Amino acid sequence: MEKQEIMENLARGVVDGDPEACRQNAREALREGIDPLDAVEQGLSGGMGVVGDRFERGEVYLPELLMAADAFNAAMEILRPEMEAQNKELAKIGTVLLGTVKGDVHNIGKNIVATVLETRGFSVVDMGVDIPSLGFIEEAKKVKADVIALSSLMTTSMPAQREVIETLKEMNLRDRYLVIVGGGPVSKEWADQIGADGYGKSAVEAVQIIKGLLATRG
Amino acid sequence: MPDFLDFMERAVTGPIVSEHDFYMKTLIPSIRRLLDDFDIKYDPTSPLPWDDNLADRLFEAAIELLAATGVYCDGTNRIISMDREEIKEALEGLPEGRTFGEGSERRLFVSRKPGDSRPPWCHVGTGIVASSEDIATAEVEGYGRIPEANSISIPALNRVRGMPVIGGSPLEIHATINSVQAGRRALWRCGRPGLPILNLISSATTAVATIAGTHPTFGLRPSDGWLIDVIAEMKVNFETLNRLAFVLITGGNVGSAALPILGGYGGGPAGTALLMAAYYLVGILLFRAVYHLTGPIHFNHGCSTTRGCLWVFSVVGRATSRNTRFPAIGLGYSAAGPCTRMYFYETAAVNLCCVTSGYGGVQTVHPARAVIEDGVTPLEALFNVETAYAATGMEPERANELVDRLLEKYEKDIENAPPGKRYQECYDMGTKAPLEEYVRLYGETKEELAKMGIPFGR
Repeated sequence: MEKQEIMENLARGVVDGDPEACRQNAREALREGIDPLDAVEQGLSGGMGVVGDRFERGEVYLPELLMAADAFNAAMEILRPEMEAQNKELAKIGTVLLGTVKGDVHNIGKNIVATVLETRGFSVVDMGVDIPSLGFIEEAKKVKADVIALSSLMTTSMPAQREVIETLKEMNLRDRYLVIVGGGPVSKEWADQIGADGYGKSAVEAVQIIKGLLATRG
Repeated sequence: MPDFLDFMERAVTGPIVSEHDFYMKTLIPSIRRLLDDFDIKYDPTSPLPWDDNLADRLFEAAIELLAATGVYCDGTNRIISMDREEIKEALEGLPEGRTFGEGSERRLFVSRKPGDSRPPWCHVGTGIVASSEDIATAEVEGYGRIPEANSISIPALNRVRGMPVIGGSPLEIHATINSVQAGRRALWRCGRPGLPILNLISSATTAVATIAGTHPTFGLRPSDGWLIDVIAEMKVNFETLNRLAFVLITGGNVGSAALPILGGYGGGPAGTALLMAAYYLVGILLFRAVYHLTGPIHFNHGCSTTRGCLWVFSVVGRATSRNTRFPAIGLGYSAAGPCTRMYFYETAAVNLCCVTSGYGGVQTVHPARAVIEDGVTPLEALFNVETAYAATGMEPERANELVDRLLEKYEKDIENAPPGKRYQECYDMGTKAPLEEYVRLYGETKEELAKMGIPFGR
């Protein structure tokens, strides 16, 4: 099978959200001697990009994104050991640590943001829900995050977004991380008021803002 | 029929599964399969469908969905299962309605049918955040002055003595108690002390605050309603179940609330409609609710006035009102804020869909996605009541035409909707009356909509 055809199959498996096809295509790529990094960057990531574009145009929704991500990860189970054996790493766009703040257990919006970020090639560390402020900061240090993204779905949990920013300041770490906020009751005005670096009204906007902030920071 | 503790037993002994697998291996595949099996498809050309066959198929599919997935308990990572017979038994056992309120305000809230000639139950006001007890009181007083109001929502308070309220802290308990007191005080002031509050308790997000705010000293009554919601699609946690346990044991009226996200786990409009219909069954069976509050929210725009959301409102309203006696309130979120023409357009569209599709009640459409502090005024509540009455008895074909024309007016502006004004900016703080500019805008828009064919003042 031609390299080009294998790459197209890898991408198609992701677009179709078909984990089994992705595993088979990943094995085929390695059998044919394709560089595992190329298989990811030119094959799987292309498929994720297609799904991400369709999501931004409103043609597909969260289920298609999640299925694409599952298919991508299925192929990575095959490709990652080979990449490690060859000491190869994916080019890093940026690492985003995200979670829903303390006192809040809502997660759909956060999950959408995480999945859209993954389709755009970001390394995403999703801490889940009800995360204490210090928890975000300790994890950000551990994973060397570029961005901390804080979700809040209730007016009573919004102050916890401010708390993360204030704690970063108290620990002299504010300049180390970009902080963006989002969630149902959160507004641009609130983001400005608490000194966040950005606010995303929707998942698509959040991703655009993160890209823009990282580009500005350089 | 199983009782609440039977379901608690399932919450601690049911099949254990990760949240990821619940969504990826159970919920999403079940929704996709049932949409195919029952041939449920979204038709963007008709935002207000009136196909009874589609509605009945949707309802049957909702029963199948709940039987296939159950409800995920986040506290135990287990599935609370429910079978078809239990669901059908619960539906058959539903009462004809529930009485709310006291004295001259005591009313029976019942379900309606599509095309019903009776006006809907008008649930007036919003749970939007107020900056102070003074503003909250002024807003509720304004709601109480609307004669057609059958029940009210009281605003949430997000500050106590200047301090921002933190969920789960003593500040939340203070805010909860203060908001209930402010609401009840306002109802006394406007001469309607018996009017029921159906969004208890807006400032309480935790079980401990719900329990604290329920003390009768603060003015709460068994004839009010306690609103309790799912935390994500088909998911509850111990906070939800704790609140339920307390309200059920103390004999309060539970209102189940579920606002599915269009574009979330349900996918597009068809899958979201299926989820939204299934939530009625969750409310009846697991929550043992006596009323329901629902409406879709668009994942990207944060409002429920998009074409797809209006379709969801309409098809779910028709499906559930034809097949249950569960009184439900349709709740919309507008993209535009108070004192804007667009808010009035969006509100008219939501109420035309909800009232003609058979919702038992409608709530004041929450302005500007409910994110602006003090971004709500009683004039929106009045306009909601007026459009709800105007839509009563209207033929769905006619309502669909009107909704289409309203969408033409605002659909393109949803992305950059005007945020509108705060209460303080469009009301006289002394007289608590709307300012001239706002009254003029309201009058002009009503005239425009009346010319379009919305029969105000019948």
